[in-house]
Amino acid sequence: MNIRALILVATGMFLVFVLEHLPMPDILLWLQPAWVLLLVTLLVLHAPHIFGLWLAVPLGLMLDVEHNSLLGMHVLTLAVHIFVLQLLYRRMAMFNFLQQTAVVFLLVVLQQLLSYWAVALVSENMVPVSLWTPALTSALVWPWVYALTHMALARLHLS
Amino acid sequence: MPTFQRQRVLGIVVLALALMWLDSHAPWLQSVRYITGYLLAPAQQVALVPSAIGNWFGESAASRQELTNENKQLTARNLVLELRAQRLAALEAENIELRELLSASEQVDDRVLVTAVVAVDPDPFSQQILINKGGEDGVFIGQPVLDAYGLLGQVIDVMPYSARVLMIADSNHAIPVQVNRNGVRAIAVGTGALDELELIYVPNTADIIKGDLLVSSGLGGRYPRGYPVATVTKVENIPGKSFAAVTAEPSAHLDRSRHLLLVFSHGSGQVPPGGLWQGKE
Repeated sequence: MNIRALILVATGMFLVFVLEHLPMPDILLWLQPAWVLLLVTLLVLHAPHIFGLWLAVPLGLMLDVEHNSLLGMHVLTLAVHIFVLQLLYRRMAMFNFLQQTAVVFLLVVLQQLLSYWAVALVSENMVPVSLWTPALTSALVWPWVYALTHMALARLHLS
Repeated sequence: MPTFQRQRVLGIVVLALALMWLDSHAPWLQSVRYITGYLLAPAQQVALVPSAIGNWFGESAASRQELTNENKQLTARNLVLELRAQRLAALEAENIELRELLSASEQVDDRVLVTAVVAVDPDPFSQQILINKGGEDGVFIGQPVLDAYGLLGQVIDVMPYSARVLMIADSNHAIPVQVNRNGVRAIAVGTGALDELELIYVPNTADIIKGDLLVSSGLGGRYPRGYPVATVTKVENIPGKSFAAVTAEPSAHLDRSRHLLLVFSHGSGQVPPGGLWQGKE
């Protein structure tokens, strides 16, 4: 990984955490896409040999602090997410936009479900999750994010 | 997919579950949270820039007329408050004198820190807000938070440059209160609705009527004494039940206040470090 790619990845990580924290009206917050998950998907699809399971630990812990969830909840969901992506990434590369969007939708639903189950398993307090809305918005945002990154990568001669 | 990859993901999942269990049952991981908060701080600061710019534009675009009017209003309000403060000084002196007569310990004025609300928790089942002061400003877990009208809640999570506040209306929150008129004690529990608190275990015969002001009693050892908490809106005596159903409306503007006060009061919330105790003995 050269220095330009490193800067790009760092900027991307900074940006997704800004987007996660952006203050918004209550209604829109329910619709907030899973930005960090989208970034992780992009990274794993683009460079599966560099971005593996280790990514889940720092990003997951930061997400937990950001959302005040139990420490480890997002580590778990991100680890499963990356694992599934590593199984799928060869096929994902052949998929068209619509198929990719469907996969992203299912992955976000899986993440929400997993976090709900994990919290219910280890503690008494249930956290309410919105199962469908973030998945829907994430899936809608995905093609744009994907196209945008590819354009940026082509510009920077990194693809 | 090689087997070690599967083992690794299984390892991370088990580790994460253990971490979650530890976090929900013991307070040991607070420092991990705090340190991770440093990593998040720059992104959080940048995320607040758009709203700060919006505020700035709003303020700069106010007309001269508006500003003059506001200034006049504030001057008038200031005069009224000064007047009250003068009376308060006299009352305080009198109070201290009476307390000395009773040889009770004297009450010290609370130190406060002004903070602003930067975000509201979107989760409809919890009433939490994020404020822009954190551990670096001396904020601590359990610290009482007030707005201009009354008690608002307490700090439950501290990050370096921000903190999370649990409001008194949250259904996981309870605060010991006292009727200002006659000193009857009760416990006010949040209902999850921002405009309603419930008083629990109030006997049917208790002297509480609609319109009574409830102030904090300080008995829990967390909140300071004597700050307004809520006004009683309904008292219902149900025949056959041992307790009356009393609801109250919070005095603090839970859904509107933008500027809040963090209170550093004597003997509230803060647990003194071990050295202090040893020094006393």
